Amino acid sequence: MTRTWTTVTLEQLPEVAAELLQFASSQKIFCLHGEMGAGKTTFVKELSKTLGVSDEVQSPTFSIVNEYTAASGDPVFHFDFYRLKSLEEAYDIGYEDYVFSGHYCFIEWPEKVESLLNFAKADIFITSDNNTRTITCRYE
Amino acid sequence: MNKKPVYILGIESSCDETSASISCDGRILSNIIAGQEVHERFGGVVPELASRAHQQQIIPVVDAALSEAKVAKEDLAAIAFTRGPGLIGSLLVGTSFAKAFAMSLNIPLIEVNHMQAHVIGNFAAREGQEIKAPEFPFLCLTVSGGHTQIVKVESYLKMEIIGQTIDDAAGEAFDKVAKMLNLPYPGGPEVDKMAAMGNPKAFKFPVSDMPGLNYSFSGFKTSVLYFLQKQRQQQADFAEANMADICASAQYTIITILLKKLTQAVQETGIKNIAIAGGVSANKGLRNALMEKQETAGWKVHIPAFEYCTDNAGMIALYGYYKWQAGEFVGLEVAPMARYGF
Repeated sequence: MTRTWTTVTLEQLPEVAAELLQFASSQKIFCLHGEMGAGKTTFVKELSKTLGVSDEVQSPTFSIVNEYTAASGDPVFHFDFYRLKSLEEAYDIGYEDYVFSGHYCFIEWPEKVESLLNFAKADIFITSDNNTRTITCRYE
Repeated sequence: MNKKPVYILGIESSCDETSASISCDGRILSNIIAGQEVHERFGGVVPELASRAHQQQIIPVVDAALSEAKVAKEDLAAIAFTRGPGLIGSLLVGTSFAKAFAMSLNIPLIEVNHMQAHVIGNFAAREGQEIKAPEFPFLCLTVSGGHTQIVKVESYLKMEIIGQTIDDAAGEAFDKVAKMLNLPYPGGPEVDKMAAMGNPKAFKFPVSDMPGLNYSFSGFKTSVLYFLQKQRQQQADFAEANMADICASAQYTIITILLKKLTQAVQETGIKNIAIAGGVSANKGLRNALMEKQETAGWKVHIPAFEYCTDNAGMIALYGYYKWQAGEFVGLEVAPMARYGF
């Protein structure tokens, strides 16, 4: 299953986030792919808002994982594996406890731990061009 | 009067560093951060950021803190630990150790908020040293790789976050600029070094303006990225050829953003006593900009020793002492919190 949104402006992000979560409603784990500055964290902000997260969604680059609370009361996990240097480090932070928790997980820089994420999940690809973005969501 | 000295053990394990410290009546006796020596003593490669690493390091680090302070564990008055915010796995190690150790010694347990402890780092002094602290009330700009906050501090125990980042931290902005320029991670110190040789006004990047006292660095990051992409299309080695000017201009913009909201906070609160905390407080450009404000705007700026700016248990042991004085203890049912506000 694949769906693509093209020439998405900043103002349209909330709408796309809602449509995407609807499109991939069977999915809980989302890996976000895109270059630095493509807007991954910004999009996670919108996805989280759609889930009813009222906390400020900040970049988890330093903390590796941020935890928020959805409107349902369930946790939402926001990862950034950008600064991991080895797979060992992902084990060390206990990534399994998070990704197999059954709760929403949004993962930035999944490429850093690709071999650990070899299970059913959805991928979101973001490319940006002159203030608009192309967002593709794909899952099996 | 022969008062018995109050020794507090502080434990910090919120993120990468495992650290233990002993304070005595509000002075730091030891401040051990797990580093190469601990790794060497216990052999093997210990991953940098790891709850497993915290598990391996916590006992040797506490041991080292006690022996450097020449304090026996039986003499401890209480144990203070970082309850959050941080990585839950890492926090659990410090919390569990603190609880077990306090129970075995039958002494009180004190929970500490990591971000409040950063503010308290401004009061750190070694035994026999004078405490050169900012006067209450003051504003603390806490800037690190993971945080950017303006904290209004009324007293040791009364603090309020009046502004913070809504996306990236200031330290992250430094690191990501460094990454775009192919400088090593963490790149903050590298950018600082290069910036000293460049022209801060060579290139212009946008200064974000969020509502209220909040910060945003995401747009800045993207603008540097687009700028470099565009320039590299015309000149492949643009970054290499203009490294010092790019670093100086980027650093100038980050500091301008930081100072703009801090200045606004001073105007809104009428408080001119300023302190800083967090790893980015090592940045020379930021220090110079603050000192300039001291000259031009009548601010009283306090910059703590760098040892107490980055993650360390000294600030935890110290805050533990102030909480001990106030009788703020917690029971053994206390649990760590990944997200932990003031």
